[in-house]
Amino acid sequence: MQGSGRGETGNDAAAVTRRYFLRDCAMGLGTVALADLLQREERAQGAERRTDPLAPKPPHFAPRAKRVIFLFMAGGPSQADLLDYKPALAKYHNQAPPREMVERLRLAFAQRNARLLAPQYAFKKCGQSGAEISDAMPHLREIADDITIIRSVHGDHFNHAPAQIFFNTGSGLPGRPSMGSWILYGLGSQADDLPGFVVLSSGGGTSGGTANFSSGFLPTHFAGVPFRSQGDPIVDVRNPAGVDDTLQRATIDVVRQLNEKRLQQVGDPQIASRVAAYEMAFRMQRRAIELMDYSKETSATLEMYGAQPGKATFANQCLLARRLVERGVRFVNVYLKGWDHHSNVKGGLKSMCGKSDRAAAALVKDLKQRGMLDDTLVVWAGEFGRTPIVEANATLGRKAGRDHHPFAFSIWMAGGGVKRGFTLGASDELGFYCAEDPVHIHDIQATIMHLMGLDHKRVTFTYQGRSYRLTDVHGNIVHKLMEHA
Amino acid sequence: MRSVVCWTVFVLSAVAFGSTVSSHADDVVDFARDVRPILASKCFACHGPDEDAREADLRLDTRNGATAVRDGSPAVVPGKPDESPLVERVESADEDERMPPPDSKLTLNDAEKRMLRRWVEQGAHYSKHWAFVPPKRPAFPDVADEDWIRNPIDRFVLARMKQAGLSPSPEADRYRLVRRVYLDLIGLPPTPEEVDAVVNDPRPDAYERLVDRLLASPHYGERWARPWLDLARYADTNGYEKDRPRTIWPYRDWVIDALNHDMPFDRFTIEQIAGDMLPHATIAQRIATGFHRNTMLNEEGGVEVEQFRYESLIDRVNTTGAVWLGLTVGCSQCHSHKFDPMTQTEYYRLLAFFNNADEPELAIPDADIARRRARLRAEIEQRERELATKWPAAEGTDPREEARRRQHAWETEQIRKTHDWHPLRPVLTDSRKGTTFTELDDRSLLAGGNRPNNDLYRIAFEVGTDHLTGLRLEALPHESLPAGGPGRAPISVGKIITEGDFLLSEFRAYLVPPGEALEARQLVRHSTENWKPLAIHRVTASHAWKDSTGDKTQDGNLDTGWRIGEETGKAHHLVFELAEPVAVPPGALLVVDLEQAYIHNMVLGRFRISGTSDRPPLASSGLPAEVESALRIPPKRRSPQQAWMVQRHFLRTAPELKDEVARIDALRATMPRFVRTLVMQERLPQVRRTTHRHHRGEYLKPKEVVTPGVPAFLHSFPKGAPRNRLGLARWLVDRRNPLVARVVVNRQWQVLFGRGIVKTSEDFGTQSSPPSHPKLLDWLAVEFMDRGWSLKQLHRLIVTSATYRQSSRVTPESLARDPENIWLSHAPRVRLEAEQVRDTILAAAGMLTERIGGPSVFPPQPEGVTSLSYGSLAWKTSSGADRFRRGIYTFLKRTAPYAMYGTFDAPTRETCVVRRGRSNTPLQALTLLNDVVIMEAAQGLAWQMVHRPATGDDASIRRLFRRILTRPARDTEVDLLRGFLKSQRGRLARGELDAAAICGVKRPAKTENSKGRREQDAELAAAVRDRLRHLGQAVPDKPVDAARLAEWAAWTTLVRALFNLDETITKE
Repeated sequence: MQGSGRGETGNDAAAVTRRYFLRDCAMGLGTVALADLLQREERAQGAERRTDPLAPKPPHFAPRAKRVIFLFMAGGPSQADLLDYKPALAKYHNQAPPREMVERLRLAFAQRNARLLAPQYAFKKCGQSGAEISDAMPHLREIADDITIIRSVHGDHFNHAPAQIFFNTGSGLPGRPSMGSWILYGLGSQADDLPGFVVLSSGGGTSGGTANFSSGFLPTHFAGVPFRSQGDPIVDVRNPAGVDDTLQRATIDVVRQLNEKRLQQVGDPQIASRVAAYEMAFRMQRRAIELMDYSKETSATLEMYGAQPGKATFANQCLLARRLVERGVRFVNVYLKGWDHHSNVKGGLKSMCGKSDRAAAALVKDLKQRGMLDDTLVVWAGEFGRTPIVEANATLGRKAGRDHHPFAFSIWMAGGGVKRGFTLGASDELGFYCAEDPVHIHDIQATIMHLMGLDHKRVTFTYQGRSYRLTDVHGNIVHKLMEHA
Repeated sequence: MRSVVCWTVFVLSAVAFGSTVSSHADDVVDFARDVRPILASKCFACHGPDEDAREADLRLDTRNGATAVRDGSPAVVPGKPDESPLVERVESADEDERMPPPDSKLTLNDAEKRMLRRWVEQGAHYSKHWAFVPPKRPAFPDVADEDWIRNPIDRFVLARMKQAGLSPSPEADRYRLVRRVYLDLIGLPPTPEEVDAVVNDPRPDAYERLVDRLLASPHYGERWARPWLDLARYADTNGYEKDRPRTIWPYRDWVIDALNHDMPFDRFTIEQIAGDMLPHATIAQRIATGFHRNTMLNEEGGVEVEQFRYESLIDRVNTTGAVWLGLTVGCSQCHSHKFDPMTQTEYYRLLAFFNNADEPELAIPDADIARRRARLRAEIEQRERELATKWPAAEGTDPREEARRRQHAWETEQIRKTHDWHPLRPVLTDSRKGTTFTELDDRSLLAGGNRPNNDLYRIAFEVGTDHLTGLRLEALPHESLPAGGPGRAPISVGKIITEGDFLLSEFRAYLVPPGEALEARQLVRHSTENWKPLAIHRVTASHAWKDSTGDKTQDGNLDTGWRIGEETGKAHHLVFELAEPVAVPPGALLVVDLEQAYIHNMVLGRFRISGTSDRPPLASSGLPAEVESALRIPPKRRSPQQAWMVQRHFLRTAPELKDEVARIDALRATMPRFVRTLVMQERLPQVRRTTHRHHRGEYLKPKEVVTPGVPAFLHSFPKGAPRNRLGLARWLVDRRNPLVARVVVNRQWQVLFGRGIVKTSEDFGTQSSPPSHPKLLDWLAVEFMDRGWSLKQLHRLIVTSATYRQSSRVTPESLARDPENIWLSHAPRVRLEAEQVRDTILAAAGMLTERIGGPSVFPPQPEGVTSLSYGSLAWKTSSGADRFRRGIYTFLKRTAPYAMYGTFDAPTRETCVVRRGRSNTPLQALTLLNDVVIMEAAQGLAWQMVHRPATGDDASIRRLFRRILTRPARDTEVDLLRGFLKSQRGRLARGELDAAAICGVKRPAKTENSKGRREQDAELAAAVRDRLRHLGQAVPDKPVDAARLAEWAAWTTLVRALFNLDETITKE
């Protein structure tokens, strides 16, 4: 991390060497279970754990958040109908916007001469804070005093795949490490028997595909591990047909014994790593099954989320996200696609909010009840927002829709040191561009890193002759949205 | 997950080289070795080659810059450190004075400061970065141990090894060496018989003979194509959101074939970069240009096509830089390079070479397919000619006579609808978005070049008559178009878009007065002010899709227009009746605007304009143009072909023959198609594209025009070479290129030794890690070129060296002194590449299908993997032999790659990858333990042990060991495995384990008493046979009973354990 991963990580090799000689050679391994030894030693000696690329590392400064749940609303939810109330849009509904507003606008489908479209839902001030939230999100209203809404987010990318990849990796092209990977790289993992970075998706994929959670040029350890939405969460986590746990254990044992013999003959410390990986895999198999067993969740909890065990729903994924962070997972991405409302934005939002509003709010409430909200950051965002002008096209059969709009859109964040009951920034009167406190996506990324106790400028990796970071050469921390900033 | 110790990924050169630098403390300062790394990492960002980022007008990457007088004094006064502001600022204790400034977060340590002082003291000499100086054949170093030397590689290696206080390891034992060289040269493990042949070969050159055999193996090309395809970012889908399948596997097969034939690397380069431009380019040479068609394609709705063409140009430049120059040229996309002497303008000059190519598909000629097509066409014509005989006629009458009679009536009726159309000759063409047009023999225009989302075609025609009353626009099919055209829409999207459709938003026609000068590529920009718009009275269509009727081309609404929907692959037309006859003076031209404002490449692919002077009213006849004109010829004067055309149309459209025609069309649908692969095609000079520098690299910010050219700090462009892609290709493999041979040789070394001589194999620039064996690298580079750029000879040279043949055993001494094994005192021990893990296990099981090439296949993988991507590609698992093909043939979907490969560090092929990582994770353990591929291989191999058992378990275990690990088992290993086997047998016998389930045999469902024992046995035996067939295994004559099944299961558990050994997936 600091100093680009050069130099410092050279010590890893030295540490392995030292350990190898101390234990494997000098002491003689004999029939002692190497993996057990390794674990015992790791637990006893924190210092030795540096050799593990995912071993916890100290943050740069005291973190406000220890873990992140990022609810990614793929497709681009319409801020003007959800979180960014624009009375002027209602007032000038069906009128042409000022020319200078549309001149600079980039459009995919909507025509430059399209009219303004009024908010499709009524807005109300909610809670003590008076945050303005639309009728489409009744459950979010209940937690208005727990969240920060940012109404002035802007980004550079206009199409789904590049914009999603940008939000997740800081670049519009595939190949860079994602936010979760950078954070794991910077802080290591706290999970003993689960991946440190988990990706959930309630059915269907996202435009950005695996590039959204790739470790890019960072080692594969740091990649997000996609969990399947139904059945076993991790690919190949279940024993093959006919193989019971006793046979699985016996197999791992005989493999370990043979590997240990090989280690004595050829002296390659990688073999010790592989033995440990098998032990961890065995633990992961158990944990993954325990993880999916919701029987200990109270019916009140299930009810609050609207979760139905066994189904591939966003509600289930939100609950699973909580269960994951409880078990030490550092970064969870929950993808929900379907927000790309080029037509009938009203009906589209009704459907999407119906799938997600209750569960997203429940997640925040649940974390709060369990005392975890203070150090768990929840982010709700799409890759961009939608136009204040209407998208309609007779040939396409589209009406009352909205086009892509990365120039001013809204997201919300909660917990992890973020202000409660706060609204940051504003778009202009019609919602075309940012008017107050513009927040670039790079700024969000820098801020998430900051909340996790990492200086986004110092979490770097040298690749192809230069040092890279999540925020490229950009990113300003948004101090205004932090509690006691 | 908490992963485990994995230092191979993390080991870095800093430790090893730290000592090298300090050992020179008292020597003469070497700029390249000692000083440039400091300046580059700490100073160049602000005082380097990038003029936009340069602070205080000070440039430290050149001596002129450092010693230039600025503000009255130079930054560096050679020989006088105390008078040099650089030294003073660097050493200053004052935060405001000190360099680098505190806010840069960069600091110099004391050793670095001392080094800069000493460098200035010694005269502040500069030298070119080593990699930018062409390699020369170095002298061999002296070595004491001549006996160890097998070829010159060993001299260079031994000399450095001794300096580091290390000694070489003994030669690996034969078993391991043979396994190693098999894995390295053909990517597969040897069979026990193959190993024995070498081990028992008494000839002194037995090993060299083996190497030659392996180099001649057709699997050599498969093995070495893998790293090349990582560079080429080869994949079977387009990438981005839609990530649709594409066909470019002929390129993959070309690579395999070229490597198998040891095509010299310079030619290998030229064909891939510019094969289409070689004189009389062969089909193979055109297929080779697929290299740069492996870029991604964004087909998301609403994308600006030109933006993503620009992105793919960027990718082509960056990939070319990485693959042939080992340079990270991508930095210069946005600004001049911070560290390497490459300017932003030079970046776009490189891009200009690639900017003039079109990106078509090439139908690969195939004699067999051509024959089958001809045969089918003949059959179809035959059946069409027989159509008349099928005419439903009263008994006793001749159906043909009846048909003829009806045709006559039909003709009389039709002829009244026809007009005298004459196709207009196009004289000038232009388009707003870079579409180009080819005029075909029938005066129709075929669109090519760019395929934009929307476009304006503007075409000028000669009219040929003195007045016009109407115009006809035909939208015509063509076999090169998607779904046969007439449009260019490449995909069907729900109900919105149909592949091969188009949408014509507006149609306008103008009369241009004689004498007005028109220019071909300026037509769209030309003012229409002096042109006379032709008023259109009425539009009729031969066919239209739903509401998208012909009159929508006249409504002024760009959202609406004429389209044909699902009726692709056929000719359609619109007829425009003019409001009044228009007189056409001699020399006047007709200009037609085809405005297509839709999305998703819904633009016309082939069309033709005709005119008529017939008296109105004018309307569409609904007939194809050829039929319409033939009809107007009196029957007796028609040529046989014209007569047939009319008759054929009549018969094909007669309701009486509907069913028969449908049968013929069904036959037509089975027409075999030529394989089409993605290629590059240089544009003609008259439609050459202009390239700009782009501010900050942004597509929307083009600046000044640039011409094709190469970076000034490298060798000059070859004399007489054309300034195009072909010239660029020749420049890349010019002997004067200091980088290419070193870069290529280094990558081969990386594959064979697990790390390159230059560890940063993707970067040879000033920020790269210094070569561990610089002289060896240069010697190999020169040798490579001198031996005619032969990769096979290079590989032979390396694998026959003593260095390569060492044992991989790590001694405590070498681990302590050289944990990364930089000095090569033993052979590397590295985990196999992702595809090799699969190939090796299947090969050991004797189940690998050896067929080379062809379309990619879909081996089994866990469910739900591809559902994580947007398109949710249905993974139609291959059956039969295709289940067991080599990994290189696995269908590679970029946004959801084959699960096992990602787990074992294979890239997604979205961008060029020069160096794969190598991790060691619990997910890999889960794959090897639980994945269906491994389980099937275990079942298959176990069956072979049961089907033809050796004498006794021990012998079988030893045989298995040889199959999987090549070497003989040790007694202690056999003991352990025997114990395991016994224990599983016991559990099976006690009914604790389900033998059928372990073997993947579907146990017959138990039904109460309805089946006798015998019946159940028979069902089980049948299920076993099914399973064996599925696994491609020998089916025994005798039915397999429960005891035999249990034995099979027991061995399956044992084989599975052996597949999970670290040694199985490791090259030792």
